[in-house]
Amino acid sequence: MVDQRTGEHNEQPDDATLLTAVAEVWQLVDPPPVDLVDGVLAAIAAEDLEFDLLILVSTDGALAGVRHSAPEESDAGAWMLEYEGRDLRIYVRLTRIEDRVRVDGWVVPVRTLSVQLKADGQDEPLQTEIDEFGRFEFPSATPGLSRLTFFDESDESARPRVTPPFWI
Amino acid sequence: MSELPTETPSVWEVSARLFERWRAGESEALDDLVRLLSPMLWQVVRASGLDHSAAEDVVQTTWLTLVRSGESIAEPRAVAGWLTTSARREAWRISKQSGRQQPVEDETIARRLPDAPAPELQVVLDDDNSRLWSCLGKLPERCQRLLRIVAAEARPDYSAIATELDMPVGSIGPTRGRCLDKLRRELATAGGF
Repeated sequence: MVDQRTGEHNEQPDDATLLTAVAEVWQLVDPPPVDLVDGVLAAIAAEDLEFDLLILVSTDGALAGVRHSAPEESDAGAWMLEYEGRDLRIYVRLTRIEDRVRVDGWVVPVRTLSVQLKADGQDEPLQTEIDEFGRFEFPSATPGLSRLTFFDESDESARPRVTPPFWI
Repeated sequence: MSELPTETPSVWEVSARLFERWRAGESEALDDLVRLLSPMLWQVVRASGLDHSAAEDVVQTTWLTLVRSGESIAEPRAVAGWLTTSARREAWRISKQSGRQQPVEDETIARRLPDAPAPELQVVLDDDNSRLWSCLGKLPERCQRLLRIVAAEARPDYSAIATELDMPVGSIGPTRGRCLDKLRRELATAGGF
């Protein structure tokens, strides 16, 4: 290619060549961790065997999965997490009331499941049942990185449904 | 399109075939699909500025979402695009939550993209790559990220990228062109490509 301004011959790489080169240099400079694929495969295997991982689809007023400080504006604050499973949706509300956190929520469509709430390092999970209106409540939750697990006791073949960890 | 990296169409085709085999009940096909596309997802996710461990989580979440909702993908050839879009969206969501999606200051860019690879990167680039790397480092930060994403995946969803980079929709095509032109000029100044 001839450069219009200088009249010199100048090899100008086309877009495809350039993008391929950019992809290659990033691959060299910031390669994926060697265990990336194994980690993914292990996660898929665990998922297949043990439980259905619920997906966090929306948060409101929360930094789910990220440590955050207590709401600063007052002692009371509420935030919402919304999870999606294969065949149901779970809404979780965390309300800070003075020095404790209340966790309540509901399941759509309504289904009677038993629910466990367990923080990391907590020996015994808190336990409750979903009522006939699809609601459940833990009046006072243990602070820490926690998960909710939902068990369908009417169906032994059903795998427990588990939320990703979230901070209380 | 002639602009697309030449090897990518085959990645699309291969992933479509693996995806079809997995849906037909061949579980090893999913392993191969994970091996094939995870490096691409890594680049796409890292371009959003997430650190190593957050980026690994996002790649993992993306695959788990596919496993769970794979039935909803009607067109097998869309699987690679579906994965990169999901990964980018999830990366964006996470980085927004943690406040990492701030406009990047010059010194941050300098840290991320040094003129020469920092010793701790422990990579040895040959002359061509090291010139390219150094030229990339001279581009505006948005150009760097955009080119990294566009280079890693073959068919970017321009409206989604526009949202992430806070650029008006419709400007990405020309913006990509301008970024590539800037890179070409830097390369010419640096002694050619």
